[in-house]
Amino acid sequence: MGSSDSARKPLIRINGLRKTYREGDQHHIVLDGISEEFYEGEFVCLHGKSGSGKSTLLNLIAGIDAPSNGDILIQTSEGGITLNRLTERDRTLFRRDHIGFVFQFFNLIPTLTVLENVTLPLNLMGERDAYEPAASLLNAVGLGTRMNAYPDRLSGGEQQRVAIARALVHNPRFLLADEPTGNLDAETGESVLSLLLHLSRSAGKTLVMATHATEIAERADRVFHIDSGKLILHKG
Amino acid sequence: MGNLRTLLRLAWRDAWRRPLQSLFFVIGVSIGVAMIIAIDLANSSANRAFTISTDAVVGKATHQIVGGPNGVDESVYVQIRRELGYRDSAPIVEGYVRVKTLNGQPMRLLGVDSFAERPFREELGTAKIAGLNQRSFSAFMAEPNTVLIGANVSDEYRLPIGESLEIQVGSYHHKLRIVDVIASENRRIRRSLKDLLVTDIATAQEIFAKIGKLDRIDLILPDAPLHTTALEHIESMLPPGARIESSDARHGAVIEMTKAFRLNLTALSLLALVVGMFLIYNTVSFSVIQRRAVIGRLRAIGMARGEIFAMILAQATVLGIAGALLGIGLGIFLSRSAIGMVTTSINDLFFVSNVREIDVSALTLLKGGLLGIAAAMTGALIPAYEATRVSPVGTLQRSTIETRTRGSLHRISIAGVAALLLGAGTLLPDWHLGLTFLGVLAVLVGMALLTPSLMRGFAALAATHWLRRKIPILGNMAVRDIDRTLSRTSTAVAALMIAVSVIVGVSVMVGSFRMTVERWLTDLLGADIFVSPPAVANSQMTEKLDPDAVKLFETFPGIARVATARSVEIDSKDIGRITLSAITRDIAGEKRHYKSAVGNHAETWDAFRSGGLIVNEPLANRYKRSLGDTITLLTDRGEVPFTIVGVVYDFDVRPGAMMYDAVYRNYWDDPHLSSAALFVQPGVDVDEKIGSLKSVFGGNLELVIRSNRALRADALAVFDRTFSIFIALQMLAAVVAFIGVLSALMSLQLERTREIGTLRSLGITRGQLARLTLLETGLMGVIAGLIAMPTGLVLAAILIYIINLRSFGWTLQMQLQPSQFTLAFVVALVSALLAGIYPAWRMGQMQPAEALRTE
Repeated sequence: MGSSDSARKPLIRINGLRKTYREGDQHHIVLDGISEEFYEGEFVCLHGKSGSGKSTLLNLIAGIDAPSNGDILIQTSEGGITLNRLTERDRTLFRRDHIGFVFQFFNLIPTLTVLENVTLPLNLMGERDAYEPAASLLNAVGLGTRMNAYPDRLSGGEQQRVAIARALVHNPRFLLADEPTGNLDAETGESVLSLLLHLSRSAGKTLVMATHATEIAERADRVFHIDSGKLILHKG
Repeated sequence: MGNLRTLLRLAWRDAWRRPLQSLFFVIGVSIGVAMIIAIDLANSSANRAFTISTDAVVGKATHQIVGGPNGVDESVYVQIRRELGYRDSAPIVEGYVRVKTLNGQPMRLLGVDSFAERPFREELGTAKIAGLNQRSFSAFMAEPNTVLIGANVSDEYRLPIGESLEIQVGSYHHKLRIVDVIASENRRIRRSLKDLLVTDIATAQEIFAKIGKLDRIDLILPDAPLHTTALEHIESMLPPGARIESSDARHGAVIEMTKAFRLNLTALSLLALVVGMFLIYNTVSFSVIQRRAVIGRLRAIGMARGEIFAMILAQATVLGIAGALLGIGLGIFLSRSAIGMVTTSINDLFFVSNVREIDVSALTLLKGGLLGIAAAMTGALIPAYEATRVSPVGTLQRSTIETRTRGSLHRISIAGVAALLLGAGTLLPDWHLGLTFLGVLAVLVGMALLTPSLMRGFAALAATHWLRRKIPILGNMAVRDIDRTLSRTSTAVAALMIAVSVIVGVSVMVGSFRMTVERWLTDLLGADIFVSPPAVANSQMTEKLDPDAVKLFETFPGIARVATARSVEIDSKDIGRITLSAITRDIAGEKRHYKSAVGNHAETWDAFRSGGLIVNEPLANRYKRSLGDTITLLTDRGEVPFTIVGVVYDFDVRPGAMMYDAVYRNYWDDPHLSSAALFVQPGVDVDEKIGSLKSVFGGNLELVIRSNRALRADALAVFDRTFSIFIALQMLAAVVAFIGVLSALMSLQLERTREIGTLRSLGITRGQLARLTLLETGLMGVIAGLIAMPTGLVLAAILIYIINLRSFGWTLQMQLQPSQFTLAFVVALVSALLAGIYPAWRMGQMQPAEALRTE
């Protein structure tokens, strides 16, 4: 970790994180006691082969999976919390308020329109006036004219743009993206990535992205390679 | 063969991988099969018990000479045997008695002439009476009040020779001494002996107060060509009021009486399987969608469409067989309760029947099992066809199926309208009752086919801009989820709708019926106190009332008037057997409701007193008789036509008529009375009067003395008992519908695993997820309830105005009560919500990360 890091505030601190899966009599170690800090406003790339544990780490940081050992500490405006020690409900509420998630397969809700998909996080938070921020973001991702369309009417790239808008609409503390271009062609992937980086950087959001694409990693502030359950700093 | 094995292996593995869905499938089939088998076994066992008992006592008789209510004079037998020389003839006096010693069970008492029995009932053992040991034979012949019982009854109740049996006939008690037991190697005979007491004919005549009379004379007539001559020969010497008829015809007529009742039960027993077919469709359809990738791969490696079709059907068949086998076991188990209910109803409504064991007929089991398997295969046909549309790259997506479903909605709706029209076309003409039930099925199927369109209409309403803004996001999602998965949700809603509409239909019909009967009884039972001898069964109103008792009533302090009735069964030349009541006055008076009459109450009564007949509605409807028509009754003076002067509303299942008492006595040599109705003087307390009447007769003469309120309550209790089996059947159908909704929700939940993962990762809490699920299921329940209300109303109208009228000849007034509809709506909503609890819980338990990983 560089000396400049000491001046920056860590937003996410993972401490001795270990994740194992049991398959029959055997234990598979996916993450083997990793510790790291991610800072406000930085773009971190988790790089590795398929099955190396990138998505698992993202899921643990998002609180949608629980570690076998270790802690995930997240700094909020109210102070630090240990995510994995929260109750299931509190983890969910934390995720709702503070995290934006972009998935490889877009994961839009098929029964909701584009606009409704984007307003969903705000609606869940109980925000009454969700239209303005959602419409503004949809305009920003170039889908202002498709707000009333259903997801199955959109192309893959368009769907991912909606997913980005959905991830940002509630002004989360940080963004997690799991192979956001993995299901798109190169050209569309590039434009989606640029949009994601642009929006996250302009909003000053931390972005932790899992990818196996080297060209994406090149654009990150820091790149970690995950191999044999270990997190190895590759760049930054 | 190898190919078939592969198909079966694939089908089996899939069924095994989805144990809960497979279990639902099996349960759906098994409940349907169980209901069919239980009712069929109950019906056939009741019939068989009657047939066995009748066959045994009819024996080899080809014909019977029967008379009016008082039977045939003994002299006729003497003439036939001695003067005409028909040695193959035997006199019989018989009736039902209640055997106090055997826990009050009803038994048939057969009075025989030992010397005439040999050619008739050899197997029954009566022919061997002459071969009894000398002591027994002498006792049987010479001593009054001696009886033979079956060896099995003797063993079961530990009643050895020499013990006494206490029996009751009407108000009178008798003691019979057992002089011997009858054993038989024949199983049927052994069964019939369980309900049979054999006495000498003189003892029977005394017990039934038929001195000098016979109930019938059994005959074995020669085959053709001598047959006709013999018939004519005997007929020519019969006195007026007696006639000869074939033994089979008489037996058949009794069984025929219960036909409509049995058919109604059978129709309702099929309901669960019909509802179960929706469940089967859903389960198989889900399995196809879940396996589309696998099916695509199978297609890619060379499996033909026909083989895919066969594989899906094989799976349905395997599960159908499992369900059918389970249903057969369950059906046999349930039939023990069903037989009790059916027998009670037969005893209450038709005739005395003592069914003690279930006849597990292989044919019934096979029929029920095959129907279950056929239903499983039929329910799987459409999904199996859908499976054949999967392309080798497995591209048949859920959305494709939904798009197709939406695309074919208009066709489904047209088919629904066509089914409704077909139903109407089948229901309106007065065809066979079986076809009428098919018409009901067509109406239900029609409404089920209209359900998807109605659901879309509901969703479209909810999707209006205004409403969308008013409903929270979860509500919007719930509405659209239902709409999006229409192919599945509509099947579940349709199944629930059918079950609930049957609840509405049957409860409106039963409610209307009960209210109509209650009002009718209130108007009819104009007297204050009703007296009758105890009857073996509610259907037996022909017991004799002690004449001294009637004399005493007339002079009893506080009693103003006495009306008497004599109830008998009379044969009519043109319409078979009817129940005739000879009355001295109309206890209903001006409150009597005539469907049609020759004039006002007084004018009709005058016409009645002059020899007119007032018939009940079942008789008029079933035999198409109306005012002014005549009915020819077989009287002791010969065949006499009586003109119908009135048709009254009546809720007996049997055709019946009323005749003025004096007219009856003029045509029949019958001095007996069956019941009396007493009118107390003004200011006299009815209950107190009943108490004093009971104390007068207590100990000497057993009489049933009831206030009109108690009699009405007893009649309504019979009514409620009769319908309890119908209520039980519709509840079981509702259980299948509930499982259908549960199965559909489970399927949808499994399909939406990834979506649930997304929602959870976006921050939706378990509580919100549960609310979303319950909102969806609740909405499905609401829609099912809303569609079920008009459907149930139509069904009620069909049951009231068509089925009941054609089955039993009753006119009922439809009485709608908001509570019936509210209750049905609540049933739909609550069952849908209950069905949602487990899927909601499962969704909550799902780990978001796991869910997101799902393919």
